[in-house]
Amino acid sequence: MKRLAWRGDPKRELWLMWYATLIFYNVFTVVFFVLTRTQPPAPPWYDADQATAWFAHRHQGLLVGFALMFALGGLSMTSTALITYSIRRMSVSRAFAYSYLILYAVSAVPGLLLICLAMTVGAMRPDRDPAIQHWLYDFGFLSFSGTMGVFLVGSLIWMAAILLDKNRVLPRWFGYLNLCNALTEVVVSPAWILDRGAFSWNGTIAWWINVAVFGMYTGVFITLLRNMIIREDFGTGPLPDLPPRKPRQRAAAEVAEVAS
Amino acid sequence: MTTTQTVTAPTEKTPRRVPGESGMWFFVLFESLVFTSYFGVYLYYRAQHEAAFLRAQSHLDLWLGVLGTIALLTSSWSVARCVQTARVGRYRLALRDAALTAGFGAVFLTLKSIEWARQIHMGNTFTSGDFFQYYFFFTAIHCVHLLIGFVALGVLAYQLASPRRRSQEIVETCATYWHTVDFLWVLIFALLYVAR
Amino acid sequence: MRRTTGETIIFWTLPAVAVIWVAAFFLFPGFLPPMSPRAPAAEVADFYLDHTARVRYSMILLNWFCVALVPILMLIVERMRDMTHRTPVLRYCMIGCAGAAPITFLTATVFWLLAAFRPDRSPDLTLLFNDLGWVTFTCGVPFLVAQSLFLALAIYLDEQEEPVFRRWVAHFNVLVAAALVPAGFAGLTLSGVLAWDGFLSFWVRNVAIAIWIVVMSVVLGRSLRRDSAAAEAAEAAEAAA
Repeated sequence: MKRLAWRGDPKRELWLMWYATLIFYNVFTVVFFVLTRTQPPAPPWYDADQATAWFAHRHQGLLVGFALMFALGGLSMTSTALITYSIRRMSVSRAFAYSYLILYAVSAVPGLLLICLAMTVGAMRPDRDPAIQHWLYDFGFLSFSGTMGVFLVGSLIWMAAILLDKNRVLPRWFGYLNLCNALTEVVVSPAWILDRGAFSWNGTIAWWINVAVFGMYTGVFITLLRNMIIREDFGTGPLPDLPPRKPRQRAAAEVAEVAS
Repeated sequence: MTTTQTVTAPTEKTPRRVPGESGMWFFVLFESLVFTSYFGVYLYYRAQHEAAFLRAQSHLDLWLGVLGTIALLTSSWSVARCVQTARVGRYRLALRDAALTAGFGAVFLTLKSIEWARQIHMGNTFTSGDFFQYYFFFTAIHCVHLLIGFVALGVLAYQLASPRRRSQEIVETCATYWHTVDFLWVLIFALLYVAR
Repeated sequence: MRRTTGETIIFWTLPAVAVIWVAAFFLFPGFLPPMSPRAPAAEVADFYLDHTARVRYSMILLNWFCVALVPILMLIVERMRDMTHRTPVLRYCMIGCAGAAPITFLTATVFWLLAAFRPDRSPDLTLLFNDLGWVTFTCGVPFLVAQSLFLALAIYLDEQEEPVFRRWVAHFNVLVAAALVPAGFAGLTLSGVLAWDGFLSFWVRNVAIAIWIVVMSVVLGRSLRRDSAAAEAAEAAEAAA
């Protein structure tokens, strides 16, 4: 232990993962919301010609954006690894941690890579047969929004681990927030059935409200993982509270003592 | 740990701000916000196509809705009774109340299934028009919540079953969840069946 | 000893996998030289008509064995246990990448096999499957890039007198990651060094993968031998005591 401590922070692996997670979600947001503008998604009711025009119009943005995803998409593993570690730190079976790791490693292909492939192939040849462009358009958006099971079951696994944990790694209310996130995967399912309205892939409910929940969930878990790293003591028992709180409490206790 | 102490000691001695776990109340608040936004979307689209919504709404059987609501409200009463009886330590009675709650929940589920079957038989499915999209969405997402509620009741019963567990906090947390499911139904019922 | 015996068996599957990969690479008629992304639909359709059998057999081979590197990668993950890390997060990263990367290749073989399944399909559809196959194969590098970077990081953080892998292995992995990155941009152009038949996206990328496999297997073989010698010595010491 001491042999390690002399060279920098013992938490540096965790911090590297955390910063990589932060970078990944920022790149992800820039690619999907700014460069490719595939989020918010284009209308599902577009016909073949409109979809073809959409590809032609977004040509460069789609290609550059998804090329960045092809180059940096692997960084998504850092958040999976960090979350797997959070579960591993809990007083629950390792089965939970490994399930989460596998589910989210698997999710990378249908949930992220397929939209990059479909949109790249579509943007590559804007003069392709419109019927085929239309199919690529559907394929891209639906594979991205409609990859549900891995995230649904993954969130439930994380939830169960948090609620069973006695080491207080993550707060219990966040366990319940996982349930809210899992439910968004249920709410998005009509996107496979309807091509217009609030439940379609760009609909008010299936996209906007879901994305608000997902965005909050992501922001919250990134913050909570940061707190977890700060609190980490590399033991196996309950994690201590956040350090800054302790002096304040102690100071308050001292004040109370003096007053009495 | 602290929860098992609260069981043996009268609850008045440990003043808690909310019954059950505060994390569950966070969930209730968050889900309420999410559902409020769903309702907002529904009301907005309903205002746009009021005539069509009213026409489709007339296909619903108000009495089935009323019966379901009564079943769920009764289940809320029985789960509240369950918390009360558990609080005073009459655990066998509390277990009976939990079973009663699950029973009323099952009645609701049966009524819901009958209603869905009738609607589908009449040709009203998820893809037949705006109103039925919302009808099936709201009833289905509520049904998912209800099914999770049965899991919560299972946890509750598990707590009550053995003297080694019996955490009043967990009992109250599960009951809070069940009340939420009921509360959401009342809103859905009002919006889908009653609002004209 | 027991642990390393099984690992040695896994390790010696590598030459077999390498032979199969090389065979599939030469058997697929579209690699030497790589098919041009500029070819019109009719030409691509003709390609699959003319070479149906070779596309099918080479891709069936690759479909079987593109995942065969997973056990070898797990040997690397096991070696990472002996690194002086405080947490298993880098191993988790490697396991995640080892799962996601081969599936990408598997998907590419599926698209090529689809193209060859009905070569008399409309040329536009054959072109689509061909594009999907090539883009998946070429651009599908995110988890390979990440894997090399995670491994390099793991080696850099392994601070002991006798590290599991030497420092140059980390530098080498960073270099490989850098060589793989341009392939991700293959969609941007149909001609030039970045195109899927270009110098960077095809030759540099595939040569980098080949060299990575060769170098990592040599390094891995050495560390395996060291581990089994250590295990044997420990057993001998136990027997003497």
